[in-house]
Amino acid sequence: MPLSRIELLQGTLDMIVLQTLRWGPRHGYGLVQMIRTNSRGVLQVDTGSLYPALHRLEREGSIAASWEISENRQRVRVYRLTPSGKKRLAAERSKWEQLSEAISGIFVPPPQEET
Amino acid sequence: MSPFWRSHDRRNEDLNDEIRAHLEMATRDRIARGESPEEAARNARREFGDVTTVREVTGDMWSGQSLDRLMQDLRWAIRSVTRAPGFALVAILTLALGIGANTAIFSVVNGVLLEPLPFPHSNQLVFITSQFPTLGFDQFPVDAAEYLEFHERNRSFSDVGAYVTSAVNIGAAGQPPARVNSGIATASLFHTLGVSPRMGRAFTDEETRPNAAPVAVLSSELWQSTFAGERDIVGRQIDVDGVKTTVVGVMPPGFDVHDQNVKIWLPLTLDPAQRQQYRGGHFLLLIGRLASNVTLARARVELQSLLAQWPAQDGADPNAAPGAPGFVHTPTTTKHRLRYDDLQKDVVGSIGTALVVLQAAVGLVLLIACANMANLMLMRAETRHKELAVRAALGAGRGRLMRQFVTESLVFSLAGGLAGLALAYWGVHALVAANAGSIPRASSVALDGRVLLFTLLLSITTGLLFGLAPLLHLSTRSIGLTLRDAGSRTTAAASRNRVRRGLVVAEMAFAVMLVVGAGLLLRSFWNLMRVDSGFDHSHLTTFGVVLPLATYRDSTRPVAFFNDLTGRLGAVPGVQSVAAMSGLPPRRQVNANDTSIEGYVPTPNGPAQNVDYYQYVTSNYVSTMGIPVVAGRAFGPSDGPLSTPVVMINQTMAKLFYENTSPVGRRVQPGGSKVWFTIVGVLKDVKQGGVDSRTGTELYFDYEQQPATRGFAPLNMNVVIRSPLEPAALATTVRRTVNALDPTLPIVSFRSMDDVFSDSVSRPRFLAQLLGIFAVVALALAAIGTYGVLAYSVAVRRRELGIRMALGSSQQGLLSLVLRQGMALAALGLVAGLLGALAVTRLASSLLFGVKPADPLTFIGVAVFMMVVAFLACLVPARRATRVDPLVALKAE
Repeated sequence: MPLSRIELLQGTLDMIVLQTLRWGPRHGYGLVQMIRTNSRGVLQVDTGSLYPALHRLEREGSIAASWEISENRQRVRVYRLTPSGKKRLAAERSKWEQLSEAISGIFVPPPQEET
Repeated sequence: MSPFWRSHDRRNEDLNDEIRAHLEMATRDRIARGESPEEAARNARREFGDVTTVREVTGDMWSGQSLDRLMQDLRWAIRSVTRAPGFALVAILTLALGIGANTAIFSVVNGVLLEPLPFPHSNQLVFITSQFPTLGFDQFPVDAAEYLEFHERNRSFSDVGAYVTSAVNIGAAGQPPARVNSGIATASLFHTLGVSPRMGRAFTDEETRPNAAPVAVLSSELWQSTFAGERDIVGRQIDVDGVKTTVVGVMPPGFDVHDQNVKIWLPLTLDPAQRQQYRGGHFLLLIGRLASNVTLARARVELQSLLAQWPAQDGADPNAAPGAPGFVHTPTTTKHRLRYDDLQKDVVGSIGTALVVLQAAVGLVLLIACANMANLMLMRAETRHKELAVRAALGAGRGRLMRQFVTESLVFSLAGGLAGLALAYWGVHALVAANAGSIPRASSVALDGRVLLFTLLLSITTGLLFGLAPLLHLSTRSIGLTLRDAGSRTTAAASRNRVRRGLVVAEMAFAVMLVVGAGLLLRSFWNLMRVDSGFDHSHLTTFGVVLPLATYRDSTRPVAFFNDLTGRLGAVPGVQSVAAMSGLPPRRQVNANDTSIEGYVPTPNGPAQNVDYYQYVTSNYVSTMGIPVVAGRAFGPSDGPLSTPVVMINQTMAKLFYENTSPVGRRVQPGGSKVWFTIVGVLKDVKQGGVDSRTGTELYFDYEQQPATRGFAPLNMNVVIRSPLEPAALATTVRRTVNALDPTLPIVSFRSMDDVFSDSVSRPRFLAQLLGIFAVVALALAAIGTYGVLAYSVAVRRRELGIRMALGSSQQGLLSLVLRQGMALAALGLVAGLLGALAVTRLASSLLFGVKPADPLTFIGVAVFMMVVAFLACLVPARRATRVDPLVALKAE
């Protein structure tokens, strides 16, 4: 089901970006690196999707961006979480936990009471 | 720059910087990991993916305002248009042709049919004529007595004016005399039309009474051309047909009535006390202005009752036969009616139907162009499926993609519309210049606001029409599939194929309808050209001379003048024969006259004693014109001013009144005359009233006998010269000869008789030519469309064709496979088109001559022709299919 895979990816990408920014402001390239490292190389974020996602989140007000000078003396656009982004992350996270709990439930059904 | 643009550009710059920074960091990391700088840069770029798409999609995220979005769609569209310049050029040119032709025709429709006549409240104006149902005259002038009574008694019209058009010789000091169209009008005509002179005044009622001092009102154009726009023209005397006439006013520019190109207005002299003598002389045209709150329908009813009382008010006996005591010539006693038409409708006349047909035809051409464009866009969409799929995956919804597609096609159609406007501007000028005589109200044809709006709407509709076609089968689902699939075997591809084939069938059907229409009009024109005019009009040169009444009042003088003129011209080397006649075929107006026919007793249902044309001719007439004498003899030297009064008649008159007996030796008495004329000969019918209308009855009088028998000789005569010399070679001689006899006479309408005839069918020719051009364009577009679709389907099926070849299909077999496929589409289109044409051509039957709307020959001819064209269009792609190398085709997959 390629279609749902894309949708899932899209939905989760936002959450992953927000969660990664919880550890501190990052530029786009840094985000890609960090997600790859933190997921032990399992999640490879497609840059073609990342920048659109970043800009969409910025427009929503979940994150804010500003130009800064990096450790390599390079002008980079740095994203940070906003208060509304934090709220959104909390909501996404609880949704995600519910979902994964539900899916886990399907794989490992809870013991059923005898009737 | 607006803040909107600033923020937009800044965001774009930001994004570029951001991407650049990303790539630099990635490259640096890769170098650190040991890659060479070039390798690192290349890999970083590849890892990043399609920068352009990221940029566009990210930009999408920011486009909150619809204007912003629109600008983005536009950029995308313009970029994708410029990426394929060849395609864009073909597309825009096709659309420019289609939209341009539609704009050109619409501007004529607009100027002629939609633009109101240039008079205040012109919708109140009514054209009033009379009808003689028993004589078969549907629209005939009214007599002066009727005008006076109508003017006095009616209540439906706030004002009524009468006029008749003619031509006069105008003399200005130091210039050769000019022949110009004149309008002879009542003072009330100007009030009725609601137009006042720009200088001076119009006529007064007193100036239309007998014996009033002669006055004239000039048109602005004549004032400018002949009198150099001199400010003191009002009050000056000018020479009109040899009479000193005082100019009392100048009309505003463009003022005219009934598109007659009237240059000078003269008073119509009417004496109300003389009205009984005016009866029966039908020569006036009436224009009435409906009183406010009166509709044309109500006016008709009101005037009907007015007419019923007419004989009683005039003391007429309604049952008295014409000529009997108690008979008064009123509409009810002679069983004629007054007829009321919307003035504009009458001015436009039969060209209205023609213009509607032309507009429908160019509309079809545009539809075919749209179908072609839709096909092209469909194929383009196919090749861009990958790009679309990426955009859809990145979150561009179906609506967004559709909008982008439509924006792109709108860019095409608006560019096409703009180019079309330029084409139309040029086309309208060419059209009007080449057909000045065929288009009434040509001066009001222009690319005005309404035409521009039409073009804009047309461009938008066109863009939507072909822009939406490729989207009918574009769904998010089909795009998702494309990501994994080449797309050629999916259901979406199959339905796209159906759309493409449907478009080809429609194109073919429209083209067939146009070609049938053009074929019918061409056959009509061909028939018109082959109508027997009754005489040999090749090698004839003709010109008109009008003798001014002031100097030629004594009726023997015109006879002497034309005897002299024909004699001198006849002696010119290379000239075989010369004659003069009063009415020049083939555009003569009927000049119906009561005529007593000896021995003929009118019956209630039989023809009235009335002759359609009186023709006054000099003695060489029959031999010069080359008219066969059917019975008896032509006028000869023995018929002098003092010998027995003689006439010739035409075959139609012989048949009508004399049936199976010989008319030679019988006598007739023209209306208002006391003299009996003996018929000496019967001539073959001459098409006096035009090659497309019925032949009327005709009576020929000997010009020389007129002063003695009837006391007058017509002053307006046409000279014909039979000579193998071209008109241009004769011009100087003719001018010198006429000048030698009377230097004040202008020569008018100097041209070959072939030209006169060719001009008389200029409107059907103009129609056939235009429709022919449209049909050719339609045919070419349909052929290209068929070819394109077939070529594409062959390209897509290379693999299948390769397998067939590998399995032993012969080249012949493949050829016929593809041909069959194409010809099946063509045949379907052909049948639909023929059925469509059958349904539609009936509506244009008034434009046809000598051919039925369902003419089998035309339909069969078109069918064969179209199948040949379709076959040729299929042949190239079919032959290409046979050249598929099975190995290459299979490897390519």
